[in-house]
Amino acid sequence: MSSAAGWDADTAVDELYAAHYHRLVRLSVLLVRDVGTAEEVVQDSFVAMHGRWRKLREPDNGLAYLRQTVVNRSRSVLRHRGVRERYTPPVVSDQRGVDEDALAEERRRQVLAALRELPGRQREVLALRYYLDLSEAEIAETLGISRGAVKSHASRGAAALRHLLEDAR
Amino acid sequence: MNHTPQRPGEDDQLRRLLHDAVDDVQPVHALGAIRARTTNSSRARRGWLLGAGGAVLATAATVAAVAVLTDPGTSRDPGVAGPGPSAAASPSTDASGIPSDAAPTPSPSPATPPSGTPSQSAPPAAETSTVPVYYVGDTSRGPRLFREFHRLPDDGNAVLTAVTEAVSTTPDDPDYRTDWPSGTEVLAAGVQENDGGRELVVVLRNDTTDLRLAPVGMTPEEAQSSVEQLVYTAQAALQRRAPVQLLLARGTGREQRTDTLLSVPVSEPLAEGDPARTLAQVWIIDPADGARVTSPFEVNGLAAAFEANVLWELRDGDRVVQEGFTTAEECCTMAPYSFEVTAPPGEYTLVVQDSDPSGGEGPEPWQDSKRITVVP
Repeated sequence: MSSAAGWDADTAVDELYAAHYHRLVRLSVLLVRDVGTAEEVVQDSFVAMHGRWRKLREPDNGLAYLRQTVVNRSRSVLRHRGVRERYTPPVVSDQRGVDEDALAEERRRQVLAALRELPGRQREVLALRYYLDLSEAEIAETLGISRGAVKSHASRGAAALRHLLEDAR
Repeated sequence: MNHTPQRPGEDDQLRRLLHDAVDDVQPVHALGAIRARTTNSSRARRGWLLGAGGAVLATAATVAAVAVLTDPGTSRDPGVAGPGPSAAASPSTDASGIPSDAAPTPSPSPATPPSGTPSQSAPPAAETSTVPVYYVGDTSRGPRLFREFHRLPDDGNAVLTAVTEAVSTTPDDPDYRTDWPSGTEVLAAGVQENDGGRELVVVLRNDTTDLRLAPVGMTPEEAQSSVEQLVYTAQAALQRRAPVQLLLARGTGREQRTDTLLSVPVSEPLAEGDPARTLAQVWIIDPADGARVTSPFEVNGLAAAFEANVLWELRDGDRVVQEGFTTAEECCTMAPYSFEVTAPPGEYTLVVQDSDPSGGEGPEPWQDSKRITVVP
């Protein structure tokens, strides 16, 4: 993405969509769990980025803006939705011969459900760190918090997530 | 990855778990949908730019006007909101039913000194004036605005003084707050004349936080209230419901229009939000929080109460030591109320609320509270 000088807003949307749309939707799914909601959040974020392109100008700025907007909007969707769904440890079938797909599906469900149990910041830090592989500095910038806060959210979040997943086992 | 995992194995495990959880999510292809929406917004923006010969000039005029207003030497410019005699001394309700922001007639107490007598000549530097400042407080119906009166040095620009106070200082009442990110400052504020009449201009700046976006954790309602906080405070300082243009200064300090502040659209001058949906509907104005009073003392406030009924309690901890009710002058719009309280010396919490029309079915009643010390 080095030859990006002179992208206009439309080109920026096309290029960043091609490179990042899927990952951003998946990031949002980690935050809001529901795929349809995540798609809406990310589409809105692209529209917002298009409107800001004159000021962003560089692909890196565009991507940073998208990430921040996706996280912010995911959070505000959750707040809007209001009711936080309670976590219910899944019923694990003891049937023999449960096929692999169903087991994998169940594990995915457990991870997403456990993420939803975490405080918002911890969930966001874990998603940015372990899914997008962002550095502490990048996470701090995306969330507008200190690096020290990133560290503590990451370690608390990781411990809490492990704990929840062990309980579910 | 720049972070240093303490337990690399566990980091990898978490990475694998999160990837497994979402890697097979195949979102619906949406480039077409996004393009359809951005094409519309491009067209809208082009339309604005086409009609923008005037708009560009207007922006240039803004820059000039603001430059003038920031210069203290020219603050007697008639366009500047100064705390002139007329501004400080005419409590009234304007045509829209919005309570005037002139200081009420407070009973003298250390916490709310009465308005100074504005002098006709240019005020000496040490003179102070009482300015209305709005803050955000949580209510049963979400964040709403409350108002305090602050006594501040009079530098001849009441709008700048009041808005600066609103974004950057802690309110007297601990139940209120400002949600503007720390480091937010008001670079300039004032009024400018244009074809449509007077317009208030407020230029914000924050070198560490991007004010265009709501910080993570701020709800859309809080963001909206924070923008209204500036609109109401600026209008109150000017004593006039002029539209408010919010601008953002960045980098070298040159202000510019911004599409959003805290993610709230602000590209156009803003009218104040509907008071019924913006303001808390019960305010105690006097005494202020922390006031020391002698018994009996008078309580003044504004309330848009159901059937104009205003209920009050004087509490000592959880114990109600006095209670009563009164009626506001009008129902259903912010209207003055007052009552007198007699109590032995001590520390109390005064709570004023409206009556609950739903009998407990609906949201909690509106309420405001102040900590008060009755001295012998």
